[in-house]
Amino acid sequence: MTFGAPATLWALAAVPVLVVLYLLRVRRREHVVSSVLLWVKSQPSWAAFRPSRRVERSLLLLLQIVAAAGIAMALAQPALLGWTAGNGDVVLVLDGSMSMRARDVAPTRFDRARAEARDVLARLGPGHRAALVLAAAHPLVLVPPTADRRRLAAALAQAQPWDVAGDVRGAVDLAVQLVPGPRGRIFVWTDAARSPVPALPNVTTRVLGAADDNTGIVALRVVRDAETVQALVRVTNFGRAAVRAPLRVTRDGSPVYGETLALAAGETRTVVFPVSAPRGEADAGVLRAQLDVRDALPDDKTADALLAPAPLPSVLLVGPDDPPLERLLRVAPVSRAAVTRETDPAAWRGYDVVILDRVTTGAVPPGRYLAIGTVPPNLPANPSGVVDAPDIATWDRRDPVLRFVDFGDVHVRQALRLAPESGHVLAAGPSPLLWAYEGRGLRAIVLAFGLADSDLPQHVAFPVLLVNSLAWLGGDAADLHAGQTLEVPAAGADRAVLRRPDGARIDVAARDGVFSFALPRAGVYRLTTPAGERAVSVSAGSEAAGLIAPGVSGAASPPPVQQVLARLALWPWLVLGAVAVALGEWALATRRHGGDA
Amino acid sequence: MFSHRPLPEPASPPAGRSAAGDHVSDAAGAPAAAAPRDQAGLLDPAFLQRLEALSLVSRRRVRGRQRGERRSLVRGRGIEFDDYRAYEPGDDYRYIDWNIASRLDRLFVKLFSEEEDLDVHLLIDTSRSMAAGAPSKLLLAKQLAAAIGYIGLVNLDRVEVGVFSSGPGPRLSRLRGRGRAFDLLRFLDGIAPEGTTDLGLALRRTLDESPRRGLLVVISDLLDPHGYEDGLLRARHHGMQTFVIHVLAEDELAPRLSGELRLIDAETGRAVEVTIDADALRAYAEARDAYLEGIQQFCFRHGIDYLRTTSTVPADSLVLRYLRQGGLVR
Repeated sequence: MTFGAPATLWALAAVPVLVVLYLLRVRRREHVVSSVLLWVKSQPSWAAFRPSRRVERSLLLLLQIVAAAGIAMALAQPALLGWTAGNGDVVLVLDGSMSMRARDVAPTRFDRARAEARDVLARLGPGHRAALVLAAAHPLVLVPPTADRRRLAAALAQAQPWDVAGDVRGAVDLAVQLVPGPRGRIFVWTDAARSPVPALPNVTTRVLGAADDNTGIVALRVVRDAETVQALVRVTNFGRAAVRAPLRVTRDGSPVYGETLALAAGETRTVVFPVSAPRGEADAGVLRAQLDVRDALPDDKTADALLAPAPLPSVLLVGPDDPPLERLLRVAPVSRAAVTRETDPAAWRGYDVVILDRVTTGAVPPGRYLAIGTVPPNLPANPSGVVDAPDIATWDRRDPVLRFVDFGDVHVRQALRLAPESGHVLAAGPSPLLWAYEGRGLRAIVLAFGLADSDLPQHVAFPVLLVNSLAWLGGDAADLHAGQTLEVPAAGADRAVLRRPDGARIDVAARDGVFSFALPRAGVYRLTTPAGERAVSVSAGSEAAGLIAPGVSGAASPPPVQQVLARLALWPWLVLGAVAVALGEWALATRRHGGDA
Repeated sequence: MFSHRPLPEPASPPAGRSAAGDHVSDAAGAPAAAAPRDQAGLLDPAFLQRLEALSLVSRRRVRGRQRGERRSLVRGRGIEFDDYRAYEPGDDYRYIDWNIASRLDRLFVKLFSEEEDLDVHLLIDTSRSMAAGAPSKLLLAKQLAAAIGYIGLVNLDRVEVGVFSSGPGPRLSRLRGRGRAFDLLRFLDGIAPEGTTDLGLALRRTLDESPRRGLLVVISDLLDPHGYEDGLLRARHHGMQTFVIHVLAEDELAPRLSGELRLIDAETGRAVEVTIDADALRAYAEARDAYLEGIQQFCFRHGIDYLRTTSTVPADSLVLRYLRQGGLVR
């Protein structure tokens, strides 16, 4: 219910005034009795003398109060509001951020949004279509525009927020493309905890949430160096009040660290401590950090990380002899390395990474490739000739592949002139010289020149580049975050079983030689294939995901919410009711002898 | 002892019974709301004629001033033998029992109870509260006083009538014989309600002015803010045979009131603001029953005869039936 003029609710103060006046006013009938002796003697019970009895017993006063309250309420112009879908197609956008799991709105913000979205669907006119978009790490169209209510309802029931800071703005942009026409309407349910919803003419935003108290683990990482293994736990108090947060870290259930963190409002504290396995034992197991804090968001109180290092990839070198490369592969961190001249992809099965060294192949199957001086035809970077003596003018030092790589003194005699259509150029001169691509089941790095056409093997950059490239190609990202999609080479397997952090088991089918699955939640994922089990730990998508303080809708201008909310004005009924009650009171009073009207 | 058992319905409304349902009717079953009678003629001739066959009952020996029709404390010339005593010089020889003298050779005189007149004190409450009721309580009080006084006069008793409110009012004394009946009735006719009730003060003055013991009949509503106990005890200690006729109005037993009222005491002008509903009437009924039960118990404990009635009960019915049953007349 809403009020058009809530300030007039102060008129309800007339009710107690009415009662006081009723008690104070002198309107008793005088009646002469022979003696008041017996009345006075009945006073010990005081039944007849208590002033409050007048209020308790007076039907007339009750009617007067009802009438006055009705008029006062009517002045406030009350109305019942309900979501309505209007007359056009609609797109329902649900914020899939972790903050939508906050329980300050029962049962959770997301569940409330889901219920209201279901209400909108129920009001959707016949023949009109609806689409469902989840604002997760990136916008996801759960259901494209359809009139199939069952499909929409099923998708709505299965939708869950991710452990990410949802891209609400991107989701709204996507929704705008899904709902053509001026009568189309977009409904957004969000807590706007990190950014306001863009103000668009046909967007109606429902901001959910009230609380801002949350203290959570924003990062848990295992850091290795040559001698030690250390854990890093980062805890942030997102609230506006200081908290004391007991932190407990266990390794496969055994305590390894404990501390009570005193965190000021908004403070982030990072704790680092060694977690090396006892001498003689391998680093393995799961490290679990837990915060013993009760607040509106319980989901970020626990974080898991794997202690075991990521498995080293197996590498197959395809091509003519290349002594520098072969020497390097012998010492590189790979599980095994082999060399072949066989260009038939069927012969490459069983290897995590294939290095194509100056060989011409046909289209390569899904997998991980390092192409040196060659480009498989199914990669979107067909070379258009060669370029002589290109200078490596720029390179992306922030990319994991080029970390600690310096191309400053490297000279190239000749290189392929790459024309990438997508992917990411890591280093370039007159044309792209190092290019990375991920998609279509492929993850590839293309070096536009052969090692023999440059002096790269003579520079420190060479082993660093190779190790970085194999790490990126052969394994998982060093830091997997919720919201990412993990692709694991199927290595010939067709099916696998994925066990998610919440314990759910999902059958995953290989597509184009790759097991691909999204990582909506933080925690440890375990993929079991016939070749064995592979575990990865995933952290929250963003350290800001724990920010739960609700924001405001950016829709300061049109449309007013009332345009899309069914509004049933109640004040006429209140006025009618109050008048009826007043008439009843008048009739009752005038019919009483010496009435109290 | 005779009147402390619950009298028939005209008198005491039974405790615990709803006062609203307490509808008093006379012995013949006539409607309780009897037609108001002409105050000028308090008693009709037929009723007076029936009263002549009655007499007042004195349950204790009294000492009168003249020969009457009562057993007196004075032993002497009556006809009812009472006792013997040794002869003393000066005694009347006619009362010596010669049979005993012949057998015992000693002289004894026979003692007889003297039959003397009875002092009847009628005390009527004329406070303003007695004007309540339909017919008024005062009218019934005057009718009862007239009837009792008339019975006394025809039986040669000494009748004295006094009224009281906040103090002793007019008084008519030394009435004796049937010929004073008109004086009695005229006096009663002239009584009007006024003042407040103070039974204690009225009885104290009455007893001071009438030192002889006799029959004291108090007719009042006993709605006395000062209390009725002191006055009645004083009369009791004075040796009076006391009979209290408690007259109440129907509205006092079962008020027909409701709503927001300011009740004003007819005597004192005191105002009480009440909200009267079923609960309030229930509380009133409890207070009423306790009050009436207290009076009845008080009279019982102190040997005071007590009769309670409402003003709607006809006087003839009260006298011929209930006062006879109560032992005041026979």
